[in-house]
Formats: sequence, structure tokens, C-alpha cells
Amino acid sequence: MAQGLAARIYTIIPENNRLERIWLLAKTDFKIQYSSSALGVIWAFVYPLMRILIYYVVFSFVFAKDIPNYGFYIFSGIMIWMYFQEATKGGLKVIRSKRYLLENIRFNKLDVYYSSILTNLIGFLVNISVFLAMMIITGLPITWKLIYYPIFIINLMMLCLGISLILSTINVYLKDISQLWELVLLLMFWINPIFFAKQKIFNMFPALLYANPLAGIIINSRDVIMYGKDPDWFLVGYNYVLAGSILAIGVWSFNKFFHKAIEKI
Amino acid sequence: MSEDNVVIRLENVSKTFTIRDKVSGNLLEKSWAFASGGNKRRIEAVKNINLEVKKGEFLGIVGANGCGKSTLIHLMTGVYKPDKGGIASIDGTYIRLSLGLGFNGQLTARENIYLNGSVMGVKISELNKNFRKIIEFAELQKFVNTKLKYFSRGMRARLAFAVAVHAEADIILMDEFFGGVGDERFKARSDEIFQKAFVNGRTIVHVSHNMRTIKQYADRVVLLHEGECRGIGSPDEILDLYRETIKVRRLSMREE
Repeated sequence: MAQGLAARIYTIIPENNRLERIWLLAKTDFKIQYSSSALGVIWAFVYPLMRILIYYVVFSFVFAKDIPNYGFYIFSGIMIWMYFQEATKGGLKVIRSKRYLLENIRFNKLDVYYSSILTNLIGFLVNISVFLAMMIITGLPITWKLIYYPIFIINLMMLCLGISLILSTINVYLKDISQLWELVLLLMFWINPIFFAKQKIFNMFPALLYANPLAGIIINSRDVIMYGKDPDWFLVGYNYVLAGSILAIGVWSFNKFFHKAIEKI
Repeated sequence: MSEDNVVIRLENVSKTFTIRDKVSGNLLEKSWAFASGGNKRRIEAVKNINLEVKKGEFLGIVGANGCGKSTLIHLMTGVYKPDKGGIASIDGTYIRLSLGLGFNGQLTARENIYLNGSVMGVKISELNKNFRKIIEFAELQKFVNTKLKYFSRGMRARLAFAVAVHAEADIILMDEFFGGVGDERFKARSDEIFQKAFVNGRTIVHVSHNMRTIKQYADRVVLLHEGECRGIGSPDEILDLYRETIKVRRLSMREE
């Protein structure tokens, strides 16, 4: 009894250098992403901005004056989206990309998942700061409602962690999952309120708001950071329950199948 | 830790892999093979091994190629899970050293040292203290900020060994680690370390074809033959047995 409890506490409280290690893994991965290019880390700034600029130019033609401050509208959605896309794609491959450590050293294997989620957070935080800087420059008001924003970052990280754990497990048995996931991402990209006004999608297909775990996060985070509104608390709760369930399935599949994963790579 | 100081314990450990061979032929034949499992094969890599490694022991593992030595190492570290009925446990921090693995080629020597050390559980402040020692031991002073992809096999081996020694892993598992690398000077130094490891109570599991090292340092040697344990005993005993099995094998191959 006492031993079981001690073991449980041991897993909750990080051993000596666990947080340090997760952060080092994340930082190193971030460096690897950019180390081979000539511009290096500058890409972390340039790439999302160029992407947003392209979308902005193209979509301004298509939906001329539907949405005010359309550039910011896209930006606030796309930064959530880019985090989701990169984190889940990275998580899917994490066993392979971290094989050189997983195979040779004893440590808590979940750490590579945590670090993969953190790696992309660095880029995300860069995007958020650029977003806020641009709001200040263009004179859009930033309100105190911004303090709610971390709620959505945490929700998003939970979601991505859960999906990474599930996808990387499936990847062991079915390599095709990486192609399939690309297709799912493509679909999700268009059914989320990234470019469109949310009414356009959800008046037509109200179920999509709840079936898709990202929609609520995008809508609420945008309300908070761009419009200075309160989030829809029901939707926040719903999204946390959804992300929590996905994470629980992910942890379960990790515990059950992880050792097979290493054998098969 | 258990009272008898056993750090690695294997009980009735077997490992069977199920693999699928690639089917040649048209799509119909391929899908039939997939659905029926006709291209599946079971390979018994390791069969019913019972083994205990004590703290501070130097255990040698010998055997012909493909006899399951590497699989056994993976079973010891828990990277592979044994088949049903077998129990494998390891107690303490470990690092497995094998050529070509363990480092990321995109990272510099410095980054690899910090990453490996940290993953093994060493604090960054500790690594800062030991960093010079590691580099000097590996004799890589001129390549601290060079990416590992430009390193030769010998340089990688030196670095891995230096990290393992200074990060103070309780158990070091070497999988054909010195297979033809390292000049005499480096070998002499690793000899030194082997001797020191006893003093520090480090446990070493050493898979090798280098009979000299095994003979000189191993307390016990395991002989594997086609996944089975053919004998555990003193180096002299087992190495004789090993030579015999090789002879028998050659003869039987000739007869076939």
C-alpha cells in the first residue's frame, strides 16, 4: 500500500532533471529544424508571416469584404492551426526520430512526446508575439481578456499530445497513417473557421463545431486575443473534456503498445 | 535494490519475432498473402534464457553472427519485451553503446554530449563540470562544434564511450562496440577504464568478438548458439566451448 503510493508520487514529481531534459530535447529539436538552412532561426519568423501574407492576398480576392481586419482574422486562426499541424505531424514520427535515444538509454519514454509538443510551442510563441506586435502597430486594442489565452494553449497542447500518442501507435502497425493524416489535416484545414466566418460553416453544419476538437479552440482564442470578448465557457469546457478524452486514449495506447513500436522500427 | 545485488535478471526469457516477407507477384497474390498471412514467418531469436548479472560484474557474451546477442541486450534493457512467461528486469541507469547509434548526426559533439547526458539523468550543471573531461577523454578537442555526421566511426565510438563513462551509467552494455575501431592508444585507455569500472562498482555487459578483452576482463561469459544458451562460466571454459561449436558448425556446413 505505502509502496504503491510512493511509486505513484514518484511518477508525479519529476526526478532530478526531468523538466530540464524535456526542455533540452525540445530546444535541440527546434535547432535541428532550422540548423541546415542558411537563414537558420529567421525562418521561424519569416515562414509563418509569408504564409499568412499569401493566404491574405488570395482570400481577400475571394471573400472581398466579408470580415473586418481580415489579415488578423486569418493570423489568429492560422497560428493555432500551424501548431496543431506541426505538432501532430512531429508526434506521429517521434519514435523514429528519437530512436537513437529510445533504444540506448533508460529514461521515461513519454518525455520524447512532451518535448515534441514543446518544440512547436516555441514557434507558436513567436507567432503570438508577432501577432500582438502587429496589433499594437496597427492600433487595434489589446484588452485584459488576453489573460484567458493560455487556457487555449494548454487545451491545444493536451489535444496534440493525445493525438501524437494515438497516431504514433497506429504508425507502428500501419505506416499509411502518415498519408492518411495528411488527408485528415487537409480536410480539417477547410472545415475550421480559419478563413471563413464561423457562421458560414456552423450555420450550415452545426455538428462540425462539436465534432471537431479544434473549432472551439480557434473561435474562443480569437474572441479573446482579437475581439477582447469573453470566451464561450461552455465551449471551453466541452473542448477540455474532448481533449482530455483523446489524451486518455493516447496514454492508454502508449502504455499498451509502446514496446512493440520500438521493436518494429 | 534486491539484497543479492542482482542488477539484471532474466527468467525463462524467449523472444519470437513475427515477420512478413515481401510477396512478389500481382496485386491479387499480394492481397491474398496479406489476408491469409501466408508470407508470415516466426523467428525465435532467443530461447529460454535464465541469467543473473550482479552489480559490478563484467559479463561477456559471445556467439556466432545471428545467434541472438543483440536481441539479448535489447531484452536486458527492456527495449524488447520477452515472450509470455518470461521476466526481464534491470535495476539502475544504463547506456547501450553500439556503433552508429546513440547520436544525432545533425547535432554537434557538444550538443550530443548534453543531450545524451541529460537523457541519462545527469543535470546540466554536472555536465558543465564534466564537459572538458569528456572531450579530453575522447580526444576531440578540435571537433567540439563539429556536426557528428562528419565524424568517423572511431571518433563516434570514442565520444560515446567518454559520455558513458562520465555520465556514470550504472550499467554499460556494449554491443560489438569496439568492432575494429580505435587505435592502440584508445584501446589501452579503454582497458584502463575497464579496470576502473570494477573499482567503481559499474556493471558491464560486453558483446564482442574480441577474445582478448573478454579473456582479460570478463568474470563470466555466456555462449549463445542459435538463440540458446550453450553455457555460462569462466572465460577459459566458455571460450574453449565457443571454439568447439564453431568447429562443429563448420563441419556440419561442409557435410550439407
